[in-house]
Amino acid sequence: MSAVAAVQAPRRIGPAETPTRRHLEVALSRGQRKARPRAVYALVTVAGLFAILIAQLLLSIVVSEGAYQISSLQQEQRELARDQQAISEELQVLESPQHLAANAETLGMVSNSSTAYLRLADGAVLGSPVAAKATDGIRQGKDGGPLIPNELLDDVPMTAVAATSAETGDSAGPGAPGALASSGSVASTPQGLPSPITR
Amino acid sequence: MTRQRASRRRLAIAILMTFAIVGVFVVRLVDIQIVKAADFNTESFDKRAIETPVVAPRGEIVDTNGVVLADSVTRYDITASPRNAGEFNRREDDGSISKVTVLQAVTEIAALTGTTANDLLLAVTADPTSDWAMLVKGVDIETFRAIRDLGIPWIYAQPQQHRTYPAGAVAGNLVGFVGTDGPQNGLEATEDSCLASVDGVSTYERGADGVRLPGSTVTTREAVPGGTLQLTIDRDLQWYVQQAIAEQAVALGAESAMAGVVRVSDGHLMALADYPAVDPNNVNGTDIPFYGSRAFSYMFEPGSIMKAITASMLVNEGAASPTTRVTVPGIWHTPDGARIRDSAPHGDMRWTLTGVLEQSSNVGMSMLGTRLKAGVRYDYLRKYGFGEATPIHFQGEASGILASNWNTQQNYDTTYGQGVSVTFAQMLSAYQAIANGGKQVPLTLVESCTAPDGTVTSTPSTDTEQIITPKAAATTVAMLESVVTGGWLSSQLSIPGYRIAAKTGTAEVALPTGGYGNDFIVSVAGIAPAENPEYVVIVTYVKPHIMKSSAAAAPTFRKIMTQVLKTYRVPPSTKPGPGYPTTW
Repeated sequence: MSAVAAVQAPRRIGPAETPTRRHLEVALSRGQRKARPRAVYALVTVAGLFAILIAQLLLSIVVSEGAYQISSLQQEQRELARDQQAISEELQVLESPQHLAANAETLGMVSNSSTAYLRLADGAVLGSPVAAKATDGIRQGKDGGPLIPNELLDDVPMTAVAATSAETGDSAGPGAPGALASSGSVASTPQGLPSPITR
Repeated sequence: MTRQRASRRRLAIAILMTFAIVGVFVVRLVDIQIVKAADFNTESFDKRAIETPVVAPRGEIVDTNGVVLADSVTRYDITASPRNAGEFNRREDDGSISKVTVLQAVTEIAALTGTTANDLLLAVTADPTSDWAMLVKGVDIETFRAIRDLGIPWIYAQPQQHRTYPAGAVAGNLVGFVGTDGPQNGLEATEDSCLASVDGVSTYERGADGVRLPGSTVTTREAVPGGTLQLTIDRDLQWYVQQAIAEQAVALGAESAMAGVVRVSDGHLMALADYPAVDPNNVNGTDIPFYGSRAFSYMFEPGSIMKAITASMLVNEGAASPTTRVTVPGIWHTPDGARIRDSAPHGDMRWTLTGVLEQSSNVGMSMLGTRLKAGVRYDYLRKYGFGEATPIHFQGEASGILASNWNTQQNYDTTYGQGVSVTFAQMLSAYQAIANGGKQVPLTLVESCTAPDGTVTSTPSTDTEQIITPKAAATTVAMLESVVTGGWLSSQLSIPGYRIAAKTGTAEVALPTGGYGNDFIVSVAGIAPAENPEYVVIVTYVKPHIMKSSAAAAPTFRKIMTQVLKTYRVPPSTKPGPGYPTTW
């Protein structure tokens, strides 16, 4: 309606009417001039929407990809935890005193129940060393079974002699004579008794 | 102008219709999203959501150095779905496909688990409509993996918590065991509040292929693993002590045996051994009466090892000194009608208090002991802890029998350890007090309980009690040295290089019918090193068949004490003992 008014207006204003028909052109209102670039905006909006959709799609693909990765890593973790448990279980049984003692006996070792120390400071022998007898070893029960049983050791074979010869002493041994006998690395105090600190 | 009006009307109708349609949608939306939301959610949730139990392991029991004595591991129960059991196709390694029948499948499982294919086949075919049948219980991880690799589609593995005791019978009597219905014996049962775990529950949603939907995990209940129970026991020493008493008990034909090592400074039990030993991995291998720790539950008349306690009272009260002289007959008929006899007949001997201890004379100890009134001695015995359970309160712990009124014979008998019933643990505690300068520290078996979050609870009580003066305690220990240097078992008790204080005991075992029979309980209780006591060791054999005197216990005592001194690197003694005169 404003366009109609705009067209009519010049007629009233003009003082003299010229007979020649002038070429008339529709003057665009501000609103109409503004309306023209709307197509561009629409395009931008639609493109934006598509971009968002695609981004969302990609994101959810990545996330679900991650879910599969998490799932497979969790599976791997479970398997590794099983490995860890199986191995530590085996180790705990192998380091049980019964197994260590029986192994030492297989290697021809006997436990010496006498006390004697060599003081490094002055080379003095404290206590009186007595050689162990062959019978000082661990005896079995009357039925040949172990006196201090451990069912978990039933299926555990003795370590072969050759395989153990290279192994180093373990801290669990109360006397740790192996560590004492080895040269050099024994931590000791000048006055006190030598005590290997192996953990 | 009519055209304008028409377009305006059209516009209005369009707007109205739009609003109407949007309105319908909104109503529906509200209905779905708010009004019926809860119902829909639960309905759909059950289809997508998986509730999984989160198993929390029971706590470990460890020794004083952290070595595991009891541990929780996972085992698998192999179950089958008989309804689905049938032939299936298996792809072999070379790519060919072979058919596997039910019989073949169970044969393969049987070979892996050490069961018989027949039993398994029976289990599968017993009820063909059933969806569940137990095949093999508690297979370990290795076997579980092997069975899984068989690729049998109709079997399932259900993880189970299982208790394992890597050290076997070492400390088995103390640790106890967990049965199918939960903790049943020993510390497993009494310290369950520390060890018990709380299983959790978590819920997640999963897609059609079983994969967990990202971000859908909800923990409805937190899983709380059990705490770690640390004992004062030293596993390696415990093993040595158990081994030592077991060897000798077998040699003697003893019914049972007990041995204990106490650290004097803090009353910690470094080892407490019982024979027969229980292997918690296989409790059926031991008779039921020996399941627990007899060191706490078995009451016995201790015999002459009690003389050290009586001597300590006499010295503390000033009623006698190490050199107090007494003329000791072989048999003494007391003025009030009691009759006391020494184990070996002898004429009148001129012994000091030290000599009475060295010779372990019942007559001499009765003569000197009764210098103190019965009430005074009773009070001392109570203070030493006799007549009540130790602060450990072990499962089934006995209090012993200490009557408050003694008859004429008992008045004398109690001075040398008859007519009073004690537990092994009480005796350890009494010797700890004498060794520790008269100060009794409560016996301790459980060092601490550490919760998974690191908080430490159940720390032992440290209420000490000064029972006798440090001087009286030191004097008593010095007197006991004479037993090792001059007693009849000297050669079997002495450890070269160390000053040992010890007392032997051969006690008669009361019959249920009254009086005493032919059975004895033989013991050696000792303290080392005498100049600065660090460890108490007591060894007791119950009803040995072969050798019915304390000579039976002496070799084991020396073996264990030597091992203790070596293990804890106690320096040898440098000065000789006082050597109180024993005769006059």
